[in-house]
Amino acid sequence: MSGNAHEIHLTINGKDISAPPYLSVIQALWHAGYPRVKSVGCLEGVCGSCRVMVRRADSRQVTTELGCQVLVEEGMQVNFLLFPTPTHHRYQLDEIKNSWEVQARFHQFFPEAEKCRHCGGCNTTCPKGIQVEKGVELASKGKFREAGELFGECVLCNLCQTACPESIAPNHVGLFSRRVTAYFHTRPSNLIRRLERLRKGELQVVT
Amino acid sequence: MKGTPIEQALAEYTAAAQRPAPGAQPDTRELLRAFHPDHDAHAKVTLQVGPNKGDICHRQVAQLLQADARIDEADLAGSPVTETDVLVIGGGGAGCAAALVAQQQGARVIIATKLRLGDSNTVMAEGGIQASIEKDDTPQMHFDDTIRASRQVVDRELVAEMVSDAPDVIRWLIQQGMQFDLDDYGDLMTRRAGGTSAARVVYYRDYTGLEMMRVLREAIRTSDIEVWDYSPAVELLSSESGYCAGAVISSLKERQHKLVRAKAVILATGGIGRMHLNEFPTSNHFGATGDGLVLAYRLGARLRDLDSFQYHPSGLAYPQHLAGTLITEGVRSAGAYLLNGRGERFVDELQPRDHVAAAIIRECAEGRGISTGSGSGGVWLDTPSVELRNPGLFEARFPKLIQLGKKCGIDPRHQPMLIYPTLHYQNGGVVIDRNGQTNVPGLFCIGEASGGVHGRNRLMGNSLLDIISFGRRAGAHAAGRAHDRGHKKISIEHLSNLRRELTLAGMPLDSKGPLLFPGYANFENDSDYAGLRKNSEREGMQ
Ligand SMILES: Cc1cc2nc3c(=O)[nH]c(=O)nc-3n(C[C@H](O)[C@H](O)[C@H](O)COP(=O)(O)OP(=O)(O)OC[C@H]3O[C@@H](n4cnc5c(N)ncnc54)[C@H](O)[C@@H]3O)c2cc1C
Ligand code: SF4
Ligand code: SF4
Ligand code: FES
Repeated sequence: MSGNAHEIHLTINGKDISAPPYLSVIQALWHAGYPRVKSVGCLEGVCGSCRVMVRRADSRQVTTELGCQVLVEEGMQVNFLLFPTPTHHRYQLDEIKNSWEVQARFHQFFPEAEKCRHCGGCNTTCPKGIQVEKGVELASKGKFREAGELFGECVLCNLCQTACPESIAPNHVGLFSRRVTAYFHTRPSNLIRRLERLRKGELQVVT
Repeated sequence: MKGTPIEQALAEYTAAAQRPAPGAQPDTRELLRAFHPDHDAHAKVTLQVGPNKGDICHRQVAQLLQADARIDEADLAGSPVTETDVLVIGGGGAGCAAALVAQQQGARVIIATKLRLGDSNTVMAEGGIQASIEKDDTPQMHFDDTIRASRQVVDRELVAEMVSDAPDVIRWLIQQGMQFDLDDYGDLMTRRAGGTSAARVVYYRDYTGLEMMRVLREAIRTSDIEVWDYSPAVELLSSESGYCAGAVISSLKERQHKLVRAKAVILATGGIGRMHLNEFPTSNHFGATGDGLVLAYRLGARLRDLDSFQYHPSGLAYPQHLAGTLITEGVRSAGAYLLNGRGERFVDELQPRDHVAAAIIRECAEGRGISTGSGSGGVWLDTPSVELRNPGLFEARFPKLIQLGKKCGIDPRHQPMLIYPTLHYQNGGVVIDRNGQTNVPGLFCIGEASGGVHGRNRLMGNSLLDIISFGRRAGAHAAGRAHDRGHKKISIEHLSNLRRELTLAGMPLDSKGPLLFPGYANFENDSDYAGLRKNSEREGMQ
């Protein structure tokens, strides 16, 4: 609770750094006086910008995490990953004429999705613990609503995209699944009724 | 801060489904005057130069508005020039909506953003977005609530346009592929926000902004819109006839300046939280440093309500390293009480934000708060009472809050959370008309960077509405300029005027704007970006 508790020693991007234990690795870099503006965004774990590779003292395993969410630990090694490559997939929702066509169009837009080799790389790398691989499988089978639901907490950090040996862009498969579900199936009657009354000019605002 | 020590307050706390109502309440005006940070006399100055000369402005904002530019003519020699129809500056919700609509109307669009596309305040929004869609609600009621909350200092026409757009904004978002929480019949669920007379906030769990941002970002990324990320705008360009004709971009990837010549420029740079006004912590993302205000002001755009900011009542106050993190107002809408150090309610929790924030500051200032022992303090957000009345509600509706609780080592279903107001929103901004057009031809401004829509106090859910409503309008109008002939000459002539005015007013030229990043990120000392600093300065340093 008090500010002058013992300091933690770790390396971030190859620099030796000491910082109090309650700081995230981004805050620790700043605390030590190092500049850092790249890979910093919301600082709250929702924007997916602050991707880091982390190796903890007692482990040989390297994990991928969100830097704003990782608190410093003794002997930790941290490296920031920069500039995720954007997806090469191009599509417009209004190219899909109706909901009967979604599955066929999906395989045109994301031809790689069928080639998933179930290596699980995407699952391991996802800092949000999303069942990415399952999502790709469900989408390939045309189960878009179910697939999309798995990605409810996806922060588009692109780590799964980087990890995928087949260039599937699993996060974009997830987003596609979510988007077609809304685009074709969200038809709230309370909203539609209101739009209709507005169209008839019944609800003018007096200023 | 004086008050009940946190350990004692926690020991004395017992969860209860119902609690007695708060005592008699003071008049809002008096409460604000006495306790709201906007009324702190030390925080205000009068602007000495520019279109708002003579107006009252927050001291820290004034410092940036009256600062020197980051670049000189000499820095631009040899910078590559790119042409486009519409340049959108800022890749949050407002900018993305504008870019999508402009492109759809046939314009060539570049979107330049400081960080990654979508790193924004938009992605952080939790509570939801307002639209009057329920039977017992109307756009008129939405209008009336907005005007009442604004403390009457507001552009009524802008509000009328926005509330009338609202249902169609939701339809448009659904057509972009955004999901909302629906009931068993597929109708949109709605909830009440503080200061509203009907249930009018629609939402996707407590990830409304994340869902909105990822859908808009995806729509942009899978389209032909050109995205320049890590590309903050540091100056606007003007034409010989005083139009806005593009911008100077500092590419953090290529470490050089780039010029964009455009027929219309849409500023969508968001808010000011990371300026940490009055040393408050903030709920805002890393890039919220008021850049748009500075860029627009130098080119002659009028601003308004520069002394009015929103301090959100429920910023986390403990643990300290998370101070400022927002707890959505949705939690109060769901019925959470606020309790002071004596375990008593002290305010109607669903009053507008400025009222509730001032009441919390009053409790703490008068010794009825809860103290953390290290100078800070706050009051309880009584989440367990909600869980008692509606078991399971938090898990279903507020997953992000449960996550936050984990980081604090608190389960909000069983333990109250310590909160204190956090700097949240810039109420004022660049003056615009119903199409987002500023008084500088060719320059549009939308979203949090613009002013007049929320007056001096914003209702929850009206900002996400504002950014899409005016984003679409500005996008469409800017695209309308695509057929104009382009500007012949582009320059930064307006900076000579600025420097002359500053010198005449006896103002120092030693600070620079826009800020771009908060000081603690050490951007100014980063040797990686030496090439982006002024030539004159680099020479001075040698
Ligand atoms: C934690 C939190 C919760 C909120 N919850 C709600 C809610 O529930 N409902 C609601 O209605 N509102 C809410 N708000 C407010 C709302 O989210 C924002 O006001 C709104 O999203 C602002 O959108 P914008 O597009 O104008 O700005 P932003 O979304 O902030 O986008 C601005 C963009 O411009 C970029 N930028 C800044 N400077 C430059 C520059 N010099 N050059 C290039 N790019 C630049 C930024 O990096 C950013 O990408 C919340 C805000 C926060 C912080
Ligand atoms: S699904 Fe992919 S993009 Fe989404 S959070 Fe997980 S790793 Fe990141
Ligand atoms: S990483 Fe790619 S190939 Fe491997 S399981 Fe995931 S989607 Fe399939
Ligand atoms: S900075 Fe946004 S997720 Fe870490």
